[in-house]
Order: sequence, then C-alpha cells, then structure tokens
Amino acid sequence: MNKLVLLVALPLITAFLLPVINRVSAFAGRWSGPLILLLTSALGISLWSQLGDSAVAIELGGFRPPLGITLYADQMAILFAVAASLGTLLLWPNGGEDSVRQSTLALILAASGSGLALSGDLFNIYVFYELVAVVSYGLIAAKATSGSYAATLRYLVVSSFGAAMALTGIALVYQATGTLNLAQLAQLAPTQLNNMQGLAAFVLMLIGFGVKAELFPVNTWVPEVYATAPARISGLLAGVVSKLALLIIVRLLVLVFHQPEALTVMLVLGIIGVVSGELAAWRARDFKRMIAFSSIGQLGIMFIAFAIPGKAGIFAGLAIALHHLVVKPALFLLAERWSGSLSGLAGAAKASPLAAALFILLALSLIGVPPLPGFWAKLLVLVELSQQSQPLYYLGAVVILAGAALEANYLFRVASRFYHAENAQTAPASHRLPELATASLLCAALAGSVFVLTPLAEQIEGIATQAADTAHYIQTVNPEALP
Amino acid sequence: MRRLSSALFLLGLGLLIAAIFQTMEFGSVAPIAGQAINTVAAEQVGAANFVTAVVLAYRGFDTLLELTILFTAATAGGLVLGKPRAGASRDPDSGFILRAGADLFFPLLLVVGLYIILHGHLTPGGGFQGGVILASAFFIPILARPGTSMNHRRVSLIEGFAGAGFILIGLLAMLGGKEFLSPLLDQGELGALLSAGSLPLLYIAVGLKVGSELAGLLAQLSETEATD
Amino acid sequence: MTMDTGLILYTAAFGLILIGSAGIVLSTHLVRIIFGIALLEAGANLLLLLATYRAGSAAPIIVEGRIPAVMADPVPQALVLTAIVIGVGILALALSLALRVQRAYGTLDLREVRQRLEQDIAGEAGIDLPSSSDAPQAVMTRQEGQA
Repeated sequence: MNKLVLLVALPLITAFLLPVINRVSAFAGRWSGPLILLLTSALGISLWSQLGDSAVAIELGGFRPPLGITLYADQMAILFAVAASLGTLLLWPNGGEDSVRQSTLALILAASGSGLALSGDLFNIYVFYELVAVVSYGLIAAKATSGSYAATLRYLVVSSFGAAMALTGIALVYQATGTLNLAQLAQLAPTQLNNMQGLAAFVLMLIGFGVKAELFPVNTWVPEVYATAPARISGLLAGVVSKLALLIIVRLLVLVFHQPEALTVMLVLGIIGVVSGELAAWRARDFKRMIAFSSIGQLGIMFIAFAIPGKAGIFAGLAIALHHLVVKPALFLLAERWSGSLSGLAGAAKASPLAAALFILLALSLIGVPPLPGFWAKLLVLVELSQQSQPLYYLGAVVILAGAALEANYLFRVASRFYHAENAQTAPASHRLPELATASLLCAALAGSVFVLTPLAEQIEGIATQAADTAHYIQTVNPEALP
Repeated sequence: MRRLSSALFLLGLGLLIAAIFQTMEFGSVAPIAGQAINTVAAEQVGAANFVTAVVLAYRGFDTLLELTILFTAATAGGLVLGKPRAGASRDPDSGFILRAGADLFFPLLLVVGLYIILHGHLTPGGGFQGGVILASAFFIPILARPGTSMNHRRVSLIEGFAGAGFILIGLLAMLGGKEFLSPLLDQGELGALLSAGSLPLLYIAVGLKVGSELAGLLAQLSETEATD
Repeated sequence: MTMDTGLILYTAAFGLILIGSAGIVLSTHLVRIIFGIALLEAGANLLLLLATYRAGSAAPIIVEGRIPAVMADPVPQALVLTAIVIGVGILALALSLALRVQRAYGTLDLREVRQRLEQDIAGEAGIDLPSSSDAPQAVMTRQEGQA
C-alpha cells in the first residue's frame, strides 16, 4: 500500500526529466507524460480495490507520526487522488505554445493533486496547495494572450493573500497544540482548539483554502481566469482542483474544528456563493463566464451541504462534488469552440449536433432533472437540509431551489439558441475530435451512472461514513503517545 | 465603493488579529514533535544539525515539494517570459570596477556556497542557503558583463538531473523495502563530515538544483528587455 | 529574552501581516501589491517561528559533542525555510507576469489593467461592454474574424 506515494513521485520525476527526455526524442517527450499518468491512474485504481473499506496510514521516511509526515489513504482520499491523475490525463493540455513546458506543468499538477488528497499533515497540505497554485499560474498563462497574463496576475494576488492567511492559521494551530499531524490535532482539538484561537485559525484557513474552492469573498478571480485560460485548464481547475480544496476544508472540519460556529460560517458563505454565482450566471453574456459563474453557484451548494453536521453532510456534499467533477470539465470542453458571446451561438446545433445534445444532457443534470444523477444529489442535499433544526439551513434549501430555477432559465436560453435558424456569419465552427471525444466519454459516464444509481449511492455513503469517523482516523494513524 | 469595502475588510482583519492576540498565551504549549525530535534525532538520523534532520529526514517530503515549487516557478517563468526578442536593447556597459570585482568574487562565492552545502548537516546552512549563494556566483558575471547569456540548456540539464537524483534516492529506499525517503547509508560518527547517511547527498542535489534554477530564472528575467 | 520581547515580536508579526494586507487591498499599483504580498508572507513566517519559541533556548545543533540543555524547536525553522522558498518562487513568477502585463497593456495601474482585461475578454467573446465607446469596432472585428 505504500506504493501510493508513487502517484506523487512518478509524475514528479518524469516532470523533472522531461526537458532532457524531449531533447533525446521528441516522440518520447510528447507521450511519456500521458503514459505515466495512465500508469499512476491504473495503480491508484488497483490500490483502491485492494483497500476495500479499510484505511491505511503511510509513514513517509519510516518515521512515526508526529515526528514525520504521514499520508492517510482512506477511500475518499484515494478517490480524489485518482481523480486528479485521471482528470489531468483526460484534460491534457493541447495546443498553445511550448508544449514541453506545458506537459511538465501538467505532470506536476497531477502529482500535487494526488498528494493534496492523500496528505495527513497540516503543513504538508499547505505546501501541496501552494504547488497546485503555482502550477495553475503557469498553465493559465500558457494561453499567452495579454488577457491571460493579467488574469493570472490577479489570481496570483488573491491566491497569495489566501495562502498567507492559511499560513497564519497554521501558525495559530501550531502555537495552540504543538503538532501538525492531523490525527494528533484531532486528539488535542477538544481541549486546546475549542476556543477563540481555534475559530480564528479555522476562519483564516477557510479563506486561504477557499480561494481555490471559489468561496465567497475570495472568488473574484474566477470569471477572469476561466474566460482567458485555455478551456481544458479551466475544466481542470473548476472540476478537479476546486474539489481538492474543498476536500481539505472538509477534513479540517471533521477532524480538527468541531465548533458549531465553524459550520455556521461555511453555511453563510455558501448561501452567499449560491446567490451571487447563479445571479451572475443568469446575467452573463458569454458562454465561458456563464459556466464559470455557474460553478461558483454549484460550489456554494457544496459548501451548504458540507455545513450539515455529521456523516449526512459529507454524504450529500460528496454526491454533489462527484457529480460536478464530471459535469464541469465536460462543459468547459464544449466551451472551447463556443467561447463567443451567447447571441453568437445561434444555430450551433447545425455545425455540432452531438455537442448540442451533450450540452442538453449536462444542463439537465446540472439543474437536477430526474433520473439524472444531478437530481438525486440535489434531492439528497435538500432532504438533509430540511431535517436540520436551525432556520439558516432552511434558507439554504430555499436558495438552492431558487438557484435551480435560475439555472433552468439561463441554461435553456442557451440550449434553445442552438436550434435557432443559423446565422452564417456568426455561427461557431464544429468541435474538434479530442474535445468531443472526452466530453462524450464524461457524458457517457454520467448517463451510465443512472443505471447503477443504487450501488453507487451505497458506495458514496460508505465513503462518507468512513470519512466522518474521526476515531477511526486517529486509530489508523496512531500517533505517538503524548508526553 | 471599492475603497470602502477594502477598508471594512481590513478593519475586520484587524479586529480578528486583535482578538487572537488577546487570547494567545505566549510560549505555553510544549512542541510535541519538536521535543521528540530533539531527543531522538541524534541516534535516528545522525545529523548534528537537527534542523537539517527535520528538513531532509523527518520532513523530507516537504523539501521535495519545495524543490518542485521552485522548479515550477522557474518553468512557468520561462513559459511566461518566452524568448528574448532579437535586437533587444541591452543594459549599458558596467565599468571596470564591477567587472574586476565580479571576477574576484566568483571563486569566493563558489567556495562559500559549496562549503555551506556540504556542511549542512553539521552547521547552520544547507542546500537552500548554499544554492542561493551558488546562484549569485553564476549570476554576478552576467550583471558585470551585460549581454553575456547563460547557457540555459546546461542549466536545465543540471536542474533536471539534480531533482531526479533527489527523488531517486527516495525511491531507492522503497526498493529496499522501507518507506519513501527513508534515510539510507551508514550513519557514521556524529559531527564528522561523512555522517548522517544519505543526507549530505540529498543536500548536494538540493543545492545544485536551487543554484541552477535561480541562476537560470534571474538570467531569464534580465534577458527579457524592459519596455521602452 | 523576557516576556516583553515576546510581546514586541508578536506585535511585529501581526503588524507586518496587517501592513501587507493593507498594501494588497488598498494599493492601485501592481508592483506595490507584489511588495504587499512579500510583507504579508514575511509576517506570516515570523508568526510561525514564534509559535513555539521558548526564552533562553539554544540552537538545536550539537557543536563539538556538547548538547545544549534547552534546545529550540527545529520544526518551525524547517517550516519557515520551506515557506520562504515558496514565497521567492511566487514572487519571481509575479514579477515575470507583471513584466508581460506592462508590455501588453503599457501600464501597471490596477484600475486600467482591470479595464483593459474586461475589454480583452469582451473583445474575444465578441460582446460589447455597456459603456464601451468602441462598440462599432467590436462588431466590425467580429465580422472580420468570421469572414
């Protein structure tokens, strides 16, 4: 099981050697990246099935926690580690200049995404998070347009601010407990972090890690970046990276910060996120920014879901997160050809009928129309929300329903425009095969999941139960006894 | 409007910090990991400098990622800056004193940098600090003689192999049945130059990587012309 | 070191954090914002170092076989080392980006950059901004682009 480290180490060593490999053979330089990711994805999936429903802690360097860094591999961690590897493989950068450097960056993105999911040490998470940030700066700026440079710089400013806030939060936690190991923090939290300092540390880390999770108010970078970055990178950022950031926040909530105020802060920010995101999407006039704002709204729903205490919240949040993980990259792949204004999309169905059909499928699932998985995920969230006692949760449910109505409106406005009479001057071209193929694959997975809904739901519930079990985490990692 | 919201945000941040400040007790909690490391590091790792033991052994994974971040920043910087345009304007000539001084400095900086890297497990310092000194050793001649370009191919070669060397040492531990990045080789005598097993090797890899990376990045920044 | 020195150091750390944040949030010039980021990171690093500081402790290094009685915590030192290197990498990248933005837009004033960015995004998408004075040009470029 300690082969899980290879999900991080193998892409990294390939990335370091890629310029050298490329000089030896251009063919090897082009294909070694995807090949390695194929290998790590397969390795991750085989380790997942080997693990079953137990969890494993990997002590790096052979040092016992809390002296060394541990990786914690439960089902949720491996799931997202594989998602990072597989997602980067599917959305491998294509086009733009300097493909060697872009391939290097993509490999590092896969490695850091996997590591972010697996890490069990607070500072290690921070370093992985910064690594993901720097890689994304490079990949966004690879578009090499003036807009992409400016958008990357603005993103860098917000992200660095957030990272410094997160570091301050980590300093506060370390000052209060003396350790950085998540399991040991879970042991010490009830006595030493259940105070103002703990709550302040959580808020700081929420702002910090929330930048990538498109949390309000640090999501000002989202429309600019997703509009100017290459479509595949936007898909990766919105689809995979945001879920990884959210995953960290959830782990912190489950293990370390048990204050009810923490959940309230998440709930409020989630509600504002849904409202602001869906309203902005409704008013957007170009396709890319429309789905960018829509992803803010969807992530707001996830924040609301994870703000529900206990295993129920994690179950609901995971359902929406996994659904979004499949839908958003597909939408961005379709956006690659449709990046113009919404009015210019008239008649697009004639040029790319398959793409238009895929869009309708994705839109239906996003809004939440049965029997697609999006419906069941949203229903789960609404049911769990209605079972809470605090009135703020009911507000969350109302906001989600209103958001769904808005989504229906703006998504179908676009879809109907596809089938309008074609305007020869402004109709976009047909999609290229790679994007269409990957988008079809994702939609096929989406549609296929309808038929295996019950076992899938049970599986996700099992993952959520395991993730919510703090005692099990502490027992698996088994940090050295406190002095 | 924007200034108002910014000011409000800062006020909120200030209040937060004041609240933290109030409730924080200074120096009250014993560092669990730190104390344990101070007690066992000498036998477990064999490095006289415990900070090096933490950087390379206990938290070697963090160091690997740190190297990667620097590598990524250099790669992204190369991607952003692109190739210098032909006919770019150059800095004016730098004069005799700078040139002579740079020539004198170069061997000194090399020696100091290499010394700090090699003694990282014995005295304060190590790969990162020594690597920065090495980078300046290779960059100062470029400052002194504007227009000389750095051999970026050699830089990326050193960079790549040094980084791969670090990961390879980590993977070698896995071949022996241990975990990734376990310390290898004989620990030797505490305080001797050849001690602490594979730690000096790791620091050499770090120093070479950091040195070549920073030198390359600085050279690229200086080769990109300023706008007129 | 006494309790007062600790207080001064903590004030310095939090002060740097506040000043850096103020710089980022309130500045209008991109280079000043980048300086603000550097200050903010310095403050956060200092805070991390102070976390488990103990008065009167010696460096955690064994010199000539002598082990100091009270040793400082080596972990924050390693953490801050990592954090500083991360900061340097990000700063270098930020300056490279600022260079390219300056070359592309001719300015580093934040408001102008935002405006030009909006124009660029709108221009790429082929929509015109509500108060844009070059709406006719946007339409013409769109038509030229499609021809």
